[in-house]
Amino acid sequence: MSLPKVDDIHTNSELISEVFNQLLDSIIVDVASECHRITKLGLDRNLDEEEEELRLFAEARARSSDPSHSGESNSKYVVDMFGQTHPPIASEIFNCMNCGRSIMAGRFAPHLEKCMGKGRKARQKSTRAAQNQNSKGSTVSNRLSNGGSANAGHEYSNGTYEEA
Amino acid sequence: MSSSDHKIRPNLPYINSQETQLPAESQKPHLLGLRSQLGPSPFRSLQDHICILPLGRASILRGVDIQCGSCGLRPPRLYACVSCAAVECGEHVRSHAEETSHHVAVDVDRAELFCCECGDQVYDGDFDAAVVSAAIGDRPVPPPENLKKRKRVDYKPWTPDLKEQALIAENTTPLPTSQLGSDPGSYPQGLRGLSNLGNTCFMNSVLQALLHTPPLRNYFVSDLHNKFYCERENKTIVTRKSELNKADSKNVQLCLACDFDAILSAAFLGDRMPYSPAKFLYSWWQHASDLASYQQQDAHEFFISILDGIHEKLQKDRYKPPSQGSGDCCIAHRVFSGILRSDVMCTSCGFTSTTYDPCIDISLDLEPNQVDSAKTSAKTSAKTSSKTSAKSSNSVKKDANSMNSAQNTSISTLVGCLDRFTRPERLGSDQKFFCQKCQVNQESLKQMSIKKLPMVSCFHIKRFEHSPIRKMSRKIDRYLQFPFSIDMAPYLSSSILKSRYGNRMFPFDEDEQDASSEISSQFELFAVITHSGNLDAGHYVTYLRLSNQWYKCDDAWITRVNDDIVRTAQGYMMFYVQKMLYYGESETAVAG
Repeated sequence: MSLPKVDDIHTNSELISEVFNQLLDSIIVDVASECHRITKLGLDRNLDEEEEELRLFAEARARSSDPSHSGESNSKYVVDMFGQTHPPIASEIFNCMNCGRSIMAGRFAPHLEKCMGKGRKARQKSTRAAQNQNSKGSTVSNRLSNGGSANAGHEYSNGTYEEA
Repeated sequence: MSSSDHKIRPNLPYINSQETQLPAESQKPHLLGLRSQLGPSPFRSLQDHICILPLGRASILRGVDIQCGSCGLRPPRLYACVSCAAVECGEHVRSHAEETSHHVAVDVDRAELFCCECGDQVYDGDFDAAVVSAAIGDRPVPPPENLKKRKRVDYKPWTPDLKEQALIAENTTPLPTSQLGSDPGSYPQGLRGLSNLGNTCFMNSVLQALLHTPPLRNYFVSDLHNKFYCERENKTIVTRKSELNKADSKNVQLCLACDFDAILSAAFLGDRMPYSPAKFLYSWWQHASDLASYQQQDAHEFFISILDGIHEKLQKDRYKPPSQGSGDCCIAHRVFSGILRSDVMCTSCGFTSTTYDPCIDISLDLEPNQVDSAKTSAKTSAKTSSKTSAKSSNSVKKDANSMNSAQNTSISTLVGCLDRFTRPERLGSDQKFFCQKCQVNQESLKQMSIKKLPMVSCFHIKRFEHSPIRKMSRKIDRYLQFPFSIDMAPYLSSSILKSRYGNRMFPFDEDEQDASSEISSQFELFAVITHSGNLDAGHYVTYLRLSNQWYKCDDAWITRVNDDIVRTAQGYMMFYVQKMLYYGESETAVAG
């Protein structure tokens, strides 16, 4: 590409065009120079291997969209490679290491959750139990205080006193 | 240049001999002719004229009014003659060469040698060394002090001697051959289903992957964690999260490594009926009490949690805390721990702040928007090019590559995710970084790279997208292509640094020239954990590769599957192991 001398450029649009061309040229040569170096020094990634993997993937995908292909079938009701079948919920029975009870494997996690006092439901249960106790106590004291006796609770009862 | 002299000398004959990997060596007579004229240290004088621009690009120092001697053209398309420093543009540099027989010039903008006669860019070790020296003089990049490299020792195969054979015969019993199946010898060892205890597929999937993680499996199979010794040592140690035990003696020994060892023994002893990892669940819930509930958990979270549990327990047994990232603390870290390097570069002056952080796995983002991914990556790289004076054309090239290969199929790939992970990222103007050299807040570029590769690389794909606007999370089901073998070399710090400084022939990092690093950057896939379904109700399955055959581990059901099924599965966590393992010199001398 011949480079026009500065005097030859007359119009603004030619000037702008020239500037753009030089910038574009510079960017292209930049990339070319870097690629040239990478290739000559053998630093480029093994693109062949990557393309091979992509090709294998594309083929696999094409084959799996074929309806005759079994694909990811639900294996819960099949025979495993050792020739065994298993129930959907694991039926092995063993002792809980926290409380000692016999538990079925498939139900072990929910049992353990309550057993260890972890989890949402277990915690809610315990707080509900505590609330019930508190309310019982307050009705007793109300009744007693209404009855006018200074002694809150233990000695004389009007028959409605309950174990706190 | 004196400090790098000893690096240059041994390499000189390598670069100049005919057997080098540079195919054009025999075709650059002009460069060689020049070298013979200039004698030793041919480009020493040029070194003073090389300047390194802020983001690593080398350039030739020049005056403001530099122009072509013949036509007055101004940079960037100028060349300076190496022999006489005459400046010519691309058009006229050849005529200068003809007149003066000065064939070699240097591109003023890019600091690349150009042979006018051959009309091609040429490369020279000494010139590159000069560029590297110019760069290193400003910013030496020291690796972390605690990462001392252990000298590599050769592998020596071992067979037991007579005394050892007697010992083995007396104290061991061979495993019985498998009872089930017509061809018991063909069943791989250690393959056994795990019962679902109630929404515990997340646990089963990770356990299956770990049971067949070669270095981890070998450690436990070799009885390197022995539960009798472990219990004996820990009779008095109170566990950290022992909320329940208090005076309860049955819960005193909390050791996830022991529990894992129990599962491993169960898997390898030959019984093929599904095993219930109940004790492991119990121990884990004691360790990670905040995660203890009967609901579906995240497999990745579980993975991190149990490695942490194994680490915590095993680290307690040592007197001095080992350095981070070295992997000497416990088997979990020795297998999975790598080191990530993070560079934050000031775009004004190039000052770089480098930090090293240990990591157990690498979490990767999927592309933000699959449809426009090709467009957005082109946009961002173009923006970077125009804004920074150092045109980061390397990232343009990388994007072009991933665009080319993926554009035809427009799929996400693991390699693409890793490219994105190690790409220089421009931090927003609201995240200005305080540059110590400029003493003001400046816009910066951040780039991640892998300083040290772990023995086993676990890649976690962030498939769960949280939208703060809608206050909900959703799962990204997009296919991700992952290779069965991967070369991690392009993501190493040494490679990233090298490309940042223009891929010069000399290392910026002393670890790079180590030949073993080339081989040990090759990884093989051995386990894939997949997730199907959505956030609330999903199912985890693990695919294992044993002796180049894939097996599907779906809780209690183990079946053989072919490659296709694995290739098209929705990967959530992928486990790769180094193809070749090297032995480092032992720190303690072994008797006999």
